[in-house]
Amino acid sequence: MIDALWIVLLGMAIIFAVLGILLGMMILLNKLIKPNKTD
Amino acid sequence: MHIPFSEFIGFLNLNWQIVVMLAVGGFLIYLGTARNVEPVILIPIGTGILLANIPLGGMVDEGGIFAVLRNAGIKTELFPLLIFIGIGAMIDFGPFLERPYTILLGAAAQFGIFGTFFLAYLLGDGWLHVMNFSLQDAASIGIIGSADGPTSIYVSSVLGSKYAAAIVVAAYSYMALVPIIQPPIMRWMTTKEERRVEMPITVGLVTRKAKIIFPIATVLVVGLIAPKATPLIGCLMFGNVLRECGVVERLSATAQNELTNIVTILLGLTVGGMMVASEFLNPETILIFVMGVVAFALDTAAGVSLGKIMYLLSGKKVNPLIGAAGISAFPMSARVVQRMGLQENPQNHLLMHAVGANTAGQIASVVAGGAMLMLIPLFS
Repeated sequence: MIDALWIVLLGMAIIFAVLGILLGMMILLNKLIKPNKTD
Repeated sequence: MHIPFSEFIGFLNLNWQIVVMLAVGGFLIYLGTARNVEPVILIPIGTGILLANIPLGGMVDEGGIFAVLRNAGIKTELFPLLIFIGIGAMIDFGPFLERPYTILLGAAAQFGIFGTFFLAYLLGDGWLHVMNFSLQDAASIGIIGSADGPTSIYVSSVLGSKYAAAIVVAAYSYMALVPIIQPPIMRWMTTKEERRVEMPITVGLVTRKAKIIFPIATVLVVGLIAPKATPLIGCLMFGNVLRECGVVERLSATAQNELTNIVTILLGLTVGGMMVASEFLNPETILIFVMGVVAFALDTAAGVSLGKIMYLLSGKKVNPLIGAAGISAFPMSARVVQRMGLQENPQNHLLMHAVGANTAGQIASVVAGGAMLMLIPLFS
């Protein structure tokens, strides 16, 4: 049962870690690539 | 002369389990045709169930078409991955890229996967032993909460769960039932004031360059941290690159239409073909369907909970309802959010925000599947 709890905790931690990095990447992407007037 | 009629006349081999499965197959076809519930997948699945359960039909026997398809497309994980190429080609990540914060809602709404996994494991080998659920089975049951058919098929077949067929049918059925499962939970968890929060309709521009870089960078980030998710995220994002690069429209159209349609037919028939009475009708199957509802409910509750936190942190600018769209049932849950927002406030159009959370949920569910595939072998 403790193993299952670890899986829950680590699983959610992995999801938030990966998606947190993606969030940072998207913010960076939005800052670096600004739409120009023709877009 | 003794003629063994029961060896070549089908109805002499009928039993109540077979009759129940034939009725289930017929019911799924009815839901698809008469009620328009996920017809694209439920009609092939329903037909597959009918064909697989005709006594002496031989379609699931060694060498039969369903056995061949199962070996070629499910055991090799080929079908769900091909479907993912098509889904990737259909998804516009624009609304999501305009609202990057929605990715956190997608992350929170995966809690149903792990919460349900935990419950299933407690009922099985983890504690109570009332059900025959191993760690792998519990993880496969939990993945129903990904609200994503191909991810459910992929994870349950990689983990080798004996309940793969029931899990897949539950995942697809509940995706169609999102408009029924989610609203009571959303209403129960939010106040009228929260539901009335208006969110501006921003028409921010996302450049083509950003739309091309995003899927490639996502594959690298997800693949390098959770490598077990690489096949799923890789195929999803490959399809998206075909869509966004703008120079292979034929390939993009093929992925969206012909490829997806052909694989959906084969996948649906094969999944239906896995639902043979002798293997499918047992108490575990019924409990898997109950756990499916639990998974979707926990997903919704977790998404709305984070939405409420965002509502408070943003100074009441984020409508917590959009958290419910963090599950990857695209686009059903986004539509549910839009409809509920409009019911409370006719000026409140939450659709684009909800679509952002919904597409984020698609990525998050793939990452969750990869995390499950990574963690289960470590604890087995």
